[in-house]
Amino acid sequence: MNKKTVLLLAIAAMVLAGGYAWSEYSRGAAKASEMPVAATVTAESLMEAFTNDEASATARYVGASEQVVQVKGTIRSMDPVGADRTNVILETGNDLAGVVCEFANSDLGADWRSGSSVTINGFCTGMLLDVVMVRCTAVEL
Amino acid sequence: MKPTNLFILALALAPLALSAQERFATRNGHIAFHSSTPIENIDADNRKVTCVWDATTGAMEFAALIKAFEFEKALMQEHFNENYMESNTYPKATFKGKLSGVTADELHAAGTYVVTVAGDLTIHGVTKAVSLPGKVVVDAAGVVKATSEFIVKPEDYDIKIPGMVRKQIAETIKVTVDLSLDRM
Repeated sequence: MNKKTVLLLAIAAMVLAGGYAWSEYSRGAAKASEMPVAATVTAESLMEAFTNDEASATARYVGASEQVVQVKGTIRSMDPVGADRTNVILETGNDLAGVVCEFANSDLGADWRSGSSVTINGFCTGMLLDVVMVRCTAVEL
Repeated sequence: MKPTNLFILALALAPLALSAQERFATRNGHIAFHSSTPIENIDADNRKVTCVWDATTGAMEFAALIKAFEFEKALMQEHFNENYMESNTYPKATFKGKLSGVTADELHAAGTYVVTVAGDLTIHGVTKAVSLPGKVVVDAAGVVKATSEFIVKPEDYDIKIPGMVRKQIAETIKVTVDLSLDRM
């Protein structure tokens, strides 16, 4: 291999490495619809898990790194948050606490309303007064 | 007065005492932070902050899930959770204290009040006593909003920034709190 070939290969490797580094640096947050589902649970069971043992539920549903949780439940209410987001609150059997799923309006299900049975993919971030899911997307079955 | 009569009087007055309490809460509070350096700016937003405020006593509590902070870039979010905030170990930031500068009665009329919030702020498992400036605004429709802007130094909360990225993250982080509070 002559010097010119080595130089060209080195430059190509540097361009590839730089391109990869840049794409990693500028990568946006993944959508829930683009990742595999790590756990499937009903809203009632999710609330029960956090109420009974928050540390264990956090390990399972929040996870050490971002993971998608699929939640099935019935919509208690849908509340706009600002101009472009909506909180979909799922029934849990506890009137004082729900599973709050935050959606970009473009990711909401068609014809969703209070009482609809829905399936949602999102990232569980833990529990405050409610169990909180963010960056949610509707799963059309 | 006999103890029995005192008990009956206390029971009779209890609803009055309860009705006099003015409590406010939100589950959708917004906390944002901004880090500015010549190399890059970093912004993050958390729109799932809970806050309960008893305007009668001034008692106020906040809680925010660290993993609910959203960044423009995934890599920043990963580093924030895994390397700096260690959110698997310290999943929440909390505040417990008292708001002063506005009375419950004043909240019945439109107005703007400069307030102070003093108490214990816990971030990354470290609790510090803080006194923060803020503003409470009651609009003509009776909606109560509270805002605050303050500075947090990561080193005060034992948040270690590796030397390799030290120049990309400001030594002081601007935190903005924006709450629209509902009467309970």
